[in-house]
Amino acid sequence: MNVSPADWQALWVSVRLALISTAVLLVVCTPLAWWLARRQRPGQALLESVLALPLVLPPTVLGFYLLLWLGPGGPGGLLAGLWGDHSLAFTFTGLVIGSVIYSLPFVLQPLKNAFAAIDHDTLDMAATLGAAPWDRFRNVVIPLARPGYLSAAVLGFAHTLGEFGVVLMIGGSLAGETRVASVALYEHVEVGDYARAHHLALVLVVLSVAMLWALFRWQRRPGALP
Amino acid sequence: MSLQVDLALERGGFRLAVNATLPERGVTILFGASGAGKSSLLKAIAGLQPCRGLIRFGERVWQDEHHNLPAHRRPVGLMLQRPTLFPHLDVAGNLRFAARRSGASDGRWREVVALTELQPLMERGVAGLSGGEAQRVALARALLTEPDLLMLDEPLSALDAERRQALMAVIARVGERLPVLYVTHQLDEVMTLGDHLWWLDRGGLREQGPLAERLAGLHGPLAAGGEAAVVLRTRHHGYDQRHHLLELTLGDAVLRLPATGARGDAPRLKVAARDVSLALTAVRDSSVLNILPATVDSLRDLGHGQCLVRLRCADQWLLARLSTLSRDRLGLRPGMPVYAQIKAAALV
Repeated sequence: MNVSPADWQALWVSVRLALISTAVLLVVCTPLAWWLARRQRPGQALLESVLALPLVLPPTVLGFYLLLWLGPGGPGGLLAGLWGDHSLAFTFTGLVIGSVIYSLPFVLQPLKNAFAAIDHDTLDMAATLGAAPWDRFRNVVIPLARPGYLSAAVLGFAHTLGEFGVVLMIGGSLAGETRVASVALYEHVEVGDYARAHHLALVLVVLSVAMLWALFRWQRRPGALP
Repeated sequence: MSLQVDLALERGGFRLAVNATLPERGVTILFGASGAGKSSLLKAIAGLQPCRGLIRFGERVWQDEHHNLPAHRRPVGLMLQRPTLFPHLDVAGNLRFAARRSGASDGRWREVVALTELQPLMERGVAGLSGGEAQRVALARALLTEPDLLMLDEPLSALDAERRQALMAVIARVGERLPVLYVTHQLDEVMTLGDHLWWLDRGGLREQGPLAERLAGLHGPLAAGGEAAVVLRTRHHGYDQRHHLLELTLGDAVLRLPATGARGDAPRLKVAARDVSLALTAVRDSSVLNILPATVDSLRDLGHGQCLVRLRCADQWLLARLSTLSRDRLGLRPGMPVYAQIKAAALV
């Protein structure tokens, strides 16, 4: 198979970006999903609409705003000033921030559904059995929400891996830094190098199938929760 | 230690206000119609249902205007009406969840598992358990919290008769060490287990006190339901081999009933008001075996030609349900000596 070192590098950037973004999203979305699933508060509908916006917004629109926010003068640029830089656009960190925002609904929603499905009496019971709040979360909520975490992780990872529009706007295709596989593929097509495009596309297809296969296998494992 | 509550809560138009003290030991039956607030009261005491007021256990304040001890720090063993087991753990895992956090000893673990007969189920997931099995797991789990106060909401409703008897004995034994608050609608559980009664009616405590005394009230919870009955505390006396009759003493009198034996040497006897009739003289030509001298204490007209008579009999109370015609023919009035004919009684 003819996958050039540069393409492997782009694949590695994609996988690294997806792994880091997914990890950040699981940490960020856990308290957020818990809060949204457990309470009904005024303004919650508005907040949920904003959080779901990446689902419906064209990725280029999101990418455009991100470019402004991450660039010099935007909050991202000010943040970069902390370590002597002037912009987060066209950096790997910027890509992670963009991916986190872009893939947030795909992680938030399964977690929220999983938390909402937990019977409140079960948690009450855990409390009377002597479990403090963190103990209850660690030993009752997380195990019961395990299928939700798995879906969230796979969806978040896959969605970040396939992202294109946002990366195109804020990435800049710097080899080893911001050139991800989907952008590399696009560049091969642009210059008419269909053979390379084929090989890279095939690697992405195989990767995606393998991931989904692992997910379904794991979910059917004896002893796994429905 | 005794539990003292003076609490109030409102939820969706429903108001609950209870001021009561739970005795230090013994089973207190929490009795009341559906929607009377029984489950809410248990949850409030356990710290799972926000409420206003005071909850004090012994010297320790669980809740007042300044403190609110969170549920996980209250030494309460609670069993909800639904068993509510942890679906991600097997039976042993559910029990371990409680035992690890309470520090229950291995000996205690073995004892509780044996009492609830859970050994064959230990490896099973909880999803496949029957209703009765799940209740046994939930009861074992509540016992393994090593509570200072045990609160059970219809804990035996899904169990077969034999297991119910066995677990009632277990709960009665727990009641000898600590206070037990026990919700049930089952008359046999009330009679067998109850030492005290809290009668909850439309969000308020209508009566509280010793069970035998409260049941014998003319306006007691069972009288209201048309099933008036009392529980008599008797002593074991002997057994009449020839006639297959168990002999029990009540004061100076001996009661005889067809039963093979009784648990313990102080058996309880349930006597329904409709199984008691009255006579002015001690009739000798009757097939009724148990005829006791008694004194009329008070009367209540139930309507539809029926009345309820409260009787003092060997320092205990009896209720008799008669027609108003009989009442008028006998000329019954408070203070009058009569003979109570007990047509049927059951060991509980």
